[in-house]
Amino acid sequence: MTFDRDARTALADAQLRGALRHATTLFGERRRAAIADVPDWEGARDRARAIKDETLLHLDQYLEQFAANAERAGARVHWARDAAQACDIIAGIAEQRGARTVVKSKSMASEEIRLNAALAARGIAAVETDLGEYIIQLAGEEPSHIVVPAIHKTKGQIAALFAEKLGMEPSDDVTRLAAAARQALRRRFAEADLGVSGVNFAVAETGTILILENEGNARLTTSLPRTHVALMGIEKVIPRFADLEVFLRLLPRSGTGQALTAYQSLLTGTKRQPGDEGPEELHIVLLDNGRSRMLTSPVTRQTLACIRCGACLNACPVYRQIGGHAYGSVYPGPIGAVLTPQLLGMGESSALPYASSLCGACRDVCPVKIDIPAVLLHLRAQAVARSGGPGTHRLLERLAFWAYAAVMVRPRLFEWVMRCARTLHILPPLGAWTKWRDLRPLAPRSFREEWRRGLRHEAGR
Amino acid sequence: MTDSDAARREILRAVRENLKPRGIAPGSAEPVQSTADPGPATEGPQGPTKSFRAARGSTARFTERLAAVGAHCTVVSGEAEAAGALAGILSGAGARRVAGSDAPLAQRLLRPLGDRLEIAAGESLSRDELFACDVGVTTAQWGIAETGTLVLESARERSRLLSLVPPIHVAVLSTRCICESLGDALARVRQGASHAITFITGPSRTSDIELTLVVGVHGPQTVHVLLLEET
Repeated sequence: MTFDRDARTALADAQLRGALRHATTLFGERRRAAIADVPDWEGARDRARAIKDETLLHLDQYLEQFAANAERAGARVHWARDAAQACDIIAGIAEQRGARTVVKSKSMASEEIRLNAALAARGIAAVETDLGEYIIQLAGEEPSHIVVPAIHKTKGQIAALFAEKLGMEPSDDVTRLAAAARQALRRRFAEADLGVSGVNFAVAETGTILILENEGNARLTTSLPRTHVALMGIEKVIPRFADLEVFLRLLPRSGTGQALTAYQSLLTGTKRQPGDEGPEELHIVLLDNGRSRMLTSPVTRQTLACIRCGACLNACPVYRQIGGHAYGSVYPGPIGAVLTPQLLGMGESSALPYASSLCGACRDVCPVKIDIPAVLLHLRAQAVARSGGPGTHRLLERLAFWAYAAVMVRPRLFEWVMRCARTLHILPPLGAWTKWRDLRPLAPRSFREEWRRGLRHEAGR
Repeated sequence: MTDSDAARREILRAVRENLKPRGIAPGSAEPVQSTADPGPATEGPQGPTKSFRAARGSTARFTERLAAVGAHCTVVSGEAEAAGALAGILSGAGARRVAGSDAPLAQRLLRPLGDRLEIAAGESLSRDELFACDVGVTTAQWGIAETGTLVLESARERSRLLSLVPPIHVAVLSTRCICESLGDALARVRQGASHAITFITGPSRTSDIELTLVVGVHGPQTVHVLLLEET
């Protein structure tokens, strides 16, 4: 029931809702403007989805091909069954290199495996360097949006935070706040021995990893420290280098409404000569953590086509009201509602598939056409089957639907029931619905009655 | 690391097991594309050659897009003019410490400025010295007209840090190296096989605080392209 409780808390937070409305509306508009000048947007979506489907159907082969080519280019590839193993691998690399400070660029997978906590437990400080993530880390909070992690914080709150933690003079000039973060983080970059990044796409045929960003912190993270660790879910692989084109067309436009983000880094193995720039070592950690389970059926498999653009968050009427924290998971919004229960199991997240009105806005904006409502329904069916639950509840539900069907197919009976409801002011058991919403009062007479009383003649005139 | 080997086997086995109901017998799967063949699905309507010929239009489009993404651009013809323009940019920015990459062109353009400015060679700088630079001067290997993007290849030049760390990045690009589309540029860098390829579209930016755009958060605040017209 945490989702219910947290959603209610979020709904009561006027500042949060204002910020969410502003952000999600703006991103929605920017996205629409950005895709308007792409000649064949629908075609690009279909092509991207076809590439993802092809990859997922042969994921074993593409993973092996990617690993072999990345290693041929000088990278070390590690495989991690679950979060604990991935954390162990990364902490182990850090310890072997004697790293005390780790700089991190934005990586949802690292949030998923709770890497920062795992490193801290072993005495290694992980510093988030994406501005939004840095704010969140200083505040001791969690990201609330995939693309804009600190979407829920005002500049006033951030100014107070920076004044306290960085000793800067309080100012809510956004440029000065960003400059203070740049300065503080430059020091961390200067001393960092190890950089941890995520991966947006991994190319099987070349062993290349691609990282998109706007700030430049991922470039610093992947070029300054001697060791670079890139963490990626096994679903990030795509077959061909040329496939990058369609994904680079879709991702920035869907995420931030840009034709391209400021930077793309395409990294293939390590530097070729000692005099070259860049880290001496590249470690790529391939993370399963529940992903291979999703391959079983076509319905769940499509979850793995997600490229983490965040467009479905901005489009979702539920997310737009409650924001990311209420979902209680690293991945919020519609994609989080389908991803989290599949990654972590239904146990703690069985409420998430219900955090949707099934309106389909998420499916409409998804650049790889994931049918999120279909996955939600699939997971709801699983949740019901799992709960098995008290027989009486299910019996009542079945009885209610039987009665509803019986009434709906008999016009006379329907009319009689409605008349009773109207005269007796009895409403069907809508308590749960009307507790949080106002129900419009029923008209004194039904449309059918009005029709019989003469509406028919008026309409005929 | 045998633990990782065991995990590798286990993950691949889990992937194969879970894909069993895919209706395709293992082994009979469509072949994974060979490395030489980019595959038909990804070929854009214009092949590289065709669009590359339309260089004149590409240059105009490129400069237009550069402006749209917040980068500055000066079109120069010949190296002498380029050196003059570079001197103007550096003095206009009040630059004192300038570092050039190991590209011969960047070094040639900077050499005459040595008596007025502190010029360093990028590859010899320590991390702290690099952080103290005002301007990084590099070349770019390619430009992309449709997005206003600069493309830097590590195999051609040591430009990764100089294009990133100083607050001002000046990139010299020949108009002959402007590709029409992202797809063209990808095909070109693929051949170069650099271990690090960097696409740069405008200055470093963030909207992480109340979605207000701030330029120059971790990377350069100013990107200036010297577009070298060659005849």
